[in-house]
Amino acid sequence: MAEQTKASVETGKIKAMLDRRKGKMKLLLSHCAHCSICAESCFLYTAHHGDPQYMPSYKAIFSLGRLYKKRGRVDRGFLEEIKGIVWRNCVLCRRCYCPIGIDIPSMIAFARSICRSQGVYPDFEEPEHRESWL
Amino acid sequence: MYDFVRGPLVWVAFAVFFGGLVFQALRFFSLTRKRDRVFLPAGMQRRGGESAGPSRNWLRSLRFTIIGTHPVMTVVTSVFHVCLFVTPIFLLAHSILFYESWGIGIWSFSESTTEVLTIVFLACGVFFLLRRILLRRVRAITTAYDYIILFVTVAPFLSGFFAYHQWFDYKTMVIAHILTGELMLVVIPFTKLGHMLFFFLYRFLIGSEYSFGQGSRTW
Repeated sequence: MAEQTKASVETGKIKAMLDRRKGKMKLLLSHCAHCSICAESCFLYTAHHGDPQYMPSYKAIFSLGRLYKKRGRVDRGFLEEIKGIVWRNCVLCRRCYCPIGIDIPSMIAFARSICRSQGVYPDFEEPEHRESWL
Repeated sequence: MYDFVRGPLVWVAFAVFFGGLVFQALRFFSLTRKRDRVFLPAGMQRRGGESAGPSRNWLRSLRFTIIGTHPVMTVVTSVFHVCLFVTPIFLLAHSILFYESWGIGIWSFSESTTEVLTIVFLACGVFFLLRRILLRRVRAITTAYDYIILFVTVAPFLSGFFAYHQWFDYKTMVIAHILTGELMLVVIPFTKLGHMLFFFLYRFLIGSEYSFGQGSRTW
């Protein structure tokens, strides 16, 4: 775990992962109307008194959306930032409802896959490393 | 200038519009595949009467849909989209142009009706603009792109309204009206306005918990 926190990330691998699912994900990202109608369908959003960062569309846009915008050229700090968005702010319960029909859970799940591929994920095992929000 | 934007450029705009929609539809079908039918054991199949309850229950359940959580947004969105399609198709001036070009007569609203529809449409547009500016959660995910798209959508109606009333220079306003209309058509297949088509593809064809109907395809 100590090595993981310091090692740089493989941007080539991240880019390859992004390119593999580019068709679907870019389509979903482009059709998001940014209307925020999905907000109330998320129990974390309502539990946190309407904090926008718990909105399903916010989570997808600021995790996977930013990865595509940067074309995978990210560093570990960026992935750590995304980790909070896709794990702390989302439990992947799949209850998010998009009036247009965009598959939000698959976007967040994919962002998790990318973080995990670089060793960025919540540590459930070592007590001293455990995330404060677990 | 007027003859050019009214002539060849209209053809280009409609070609890009329809070609773009077809292209995107084909792209959707290439990205998805037919969904394997899931057959439930007899005991697990949903009973016919289970989903169709008395009307009282049906009405109460609306509370948990978007109609219940966002009643204003539901109404404004529905009115906006109806006006967006109905107004330009059944507008008298467009009907006359169509007759001059193709010899086909299309029924049209009276001009006062069209004017009311346009004003209602513009009011809905203002609502969406204010909502983007004022609501914290919409603001959090709004970018310049969202304002541009809203403007592209509203501009043909705004310039058409100005031209009809001959505010500002009439000729310039008519050309602006045609250009912004063509711009909107060109932009639809390649931006989030593509939900014009993809709403139906996503909600009807993709099989998921929130589908309308069974949904025969999957990602």
